[in-house]
Amino acid sequence: MEADRREFLKQTGLLLVLTGAAAQAWDFVLAGEPEKAPTYKLLDHWWAMAMDIRKCIGCGNCVRACKTENGVLLEPDCFRTWVERYHVHPDDPEHPEVDSPNGGYDGFPEKYKAGDGSKNFFVPKMCNHCAHSPCVQVCPVGATFESPDGVVLVDKTYCLGCRYCVQACPYGCRYIDPRTETVDKCSLCYHRITKGLTTACCEVCPMGARKLGDLKDPKDPIHDFLKDHMIHVLKPEMATGAKAYYNGLDGSVR
Amino acid sequence: METIRNFRRFCLDSLRLVVVGNRAYYGWVAFLLALMGLGIVAYLGQFQDGLIHTNMRDQVSWGFYIGNFTFLVGLAAAAIMLVIPAYVYEWKPIKEIAILGELLAISALVMCLGFVLVDIGRPDRFWHIMPLVGLLNFPSSLLAWDVIALNSYLLLNYVVATYLLYCAYTDRHYVKGFVYPLVFLSIPMAVSIHTVTAYLYNGLGARPYWNSAILAPRFLASAFCSGPAILLILLQILRKTTRLEIKDEAIFKIAELMAYTMGFNLFLTAAEAFKEFYTNSQDVVFIRYLYLGLRGHYTLVPFAWASVLCGLVAFLLFLVPKTRKNWVTLNIGCVLIYASVYIEKGMGLIIPGLTPDTLGEIYTYRPSLTEVGVASGIFALGFLVFTLMLKVAVPVMLGDFTMAGRPARSAAAA
Repeated sequence: MEADRREFLKQTGLLLVLTGAAAQAWDFVLAGEPEKAPTYKLLDHWWAMAMDIRKCIGCGNCVRACKTENGVLLEPDCFRTWVERYHVHPDDPEHPEVDSPNGGYDGFPEKYKAGDGSKNFFVPKMCNHCAHSPCVQVCPVGATFESPDGVVLVDKTYCLGCRYCVQACPYGCRYIDPRTETVDKCSLCYHRITKGLTTACCEVCPMGARKLGDLKDPKDPIHDFLKDHMIHVLKPEMATGAKAYYNGLDGSVR
Repeated sequence: METIRNFRRFCLDSLRLVVVGNRAYYGWVAFLLALMGLGIVAYLGQFQDGLIHTNMRDQVSWGFYIGNFTFLVGLAAAAIMLVIPAYVYEWKPIKEIAILGELLAISALVMCLGFVLVDIGRPDRFWHIMPLVGLLNFPSSLLAWDVIALNSYLLLNYVVATYLLYCAYTDRHYVKGFVYPLVFLSIPMAVSIHTVTAYLYNGLGARPYWNSAILAPRFLASAFCSGPAILLILLQILRKTTRLEIKDEAIFKIAELMAYTMGFNLFLTAAEAFKEFYTNSQDVVFIRYLYLGLRGHYTLVPFAWASVLCGLVAFLLFLVPKTRKNWVTLNIGCVLIYASVYIEKGMGLIIPGLTPDTLGEIYTYRPSLTEVGVASGIFALGFLVFTLMLKVAVPVMLGDFTMAGRPARSAAAA
């Protein structure tokens, strides 16, 4: 009886934490053989990211985890994900003060005093994995592409380094990796999510401010997140089909 | 068979022609070679360590190289300012010199390809964007369109110019049925290379400064006033240094056409400025950064106003018949319009398009020494190509360089 209950709790917890396909693969991951998990089917997934501004505390865990997991250079120009701090005066909401020291890698030093009538919040940013990506549209050699499961990826072995996509991205998500002289950006931890794991940034977020979601999985909690909150994407006027969904995104965020 | 033999002879004779010259010619070629050497040295550093040798960063990821590229595409397109009066209107004085426009286009395109080559981070993968060799993302990417348009236009001009020179060399009249369709094709193609280059920027929704419907018309207007400016000065030099006869009326006719395009160019610039400043929406920051400065950053402001001022003065000089037909003021006007468009279609186009960046940051871009060195090397290459082509073309046009007169001439040259 005791064992059954523990088993039940474990399964429920897993279901809550992991997405459908991921839950299936979890046993293999625990056994240390994630490569033996059921074959990943591209067409069964449509990945997205749910971000909750109200939960983000600017600790920078995601930035550090991302750099470690993906071998991103520690230089302060190279980020696959970064966190911005907004400081908005109520009398001038159109011109927020934004800072992102080292992309939030080291957290944010105290800067603004409480109670001066302004509001402060953090905005975690990353590639929006747009469904109609301007970067994919403009790449002259097709080195950037959308995978059938909704992830925008870069073939670093074919990229020219022409930087046309860097200019096409409305969100500033792309940078040139000085080691390869080719473009680099968030891959949504593709090497992890296809093995049933979540992304490194989601894994380490202490507040659950970002959650990877599979829009093709009806049981994924992202559906409730999208339904129960006032959701916004960055620069909706660009109509890029951005799939980084924010709850509590202030109008001053650019 | 005979044609092949004759063509081989033409090529060999041309080679013989370009290696001999007077002292001024040798000096000029040596100077260009030295500049190219400088460019190669500058580029070696960049080749080894990457784009970090330039001052381009992720915020401003295109700079001096692509600015020059854009300007030179306009120069290449401007060849049709000679082709149209020459072939469409059959205007004799210009028809005699139309081939110079085509040669200028070839040199400009060589420089364009050079600037693209040095701009990419992985020159070892340059073949990825070569048509037929690499896999182009066509028709989705405008950059793929641009590559195809530029290369086709280069090929077209090369074929026409070579064929015309070869015919003159063999003392035959060219076959009209071959040349005319190609020449007429070159007119829409010249428009298309600059239009596609404009669309390259125009198509980026993320960069509102470029996302203006009159960008392509502005490109064409500015190209058709800056390109002929170089030709006008060149024609005068050729007239002085060779026996080539270029009639005054040809030069004045081109100058008159330029006056119209300059007026149109200024009008379009004003139209853009009005829309941006009057609506004063959030997208005004880019044109503000260019003309007025933004948040304490004024780097581009003096250049932007210099461009407007030069353009205005040049327009007035070309508009008034008296100053248009005065050699001093005409040449001043040429230099001014050249400077104006060089700023406007070079850095004045690229930098405000990218500053402030999509996240609102301002990165002050100034070309590094490497960039300036490499660029001067590429300009030297373009001038060298043009010089060598002229070295053959001018004697052909004068009738000095023909197959029939070959033995005597080559003996005299040696």
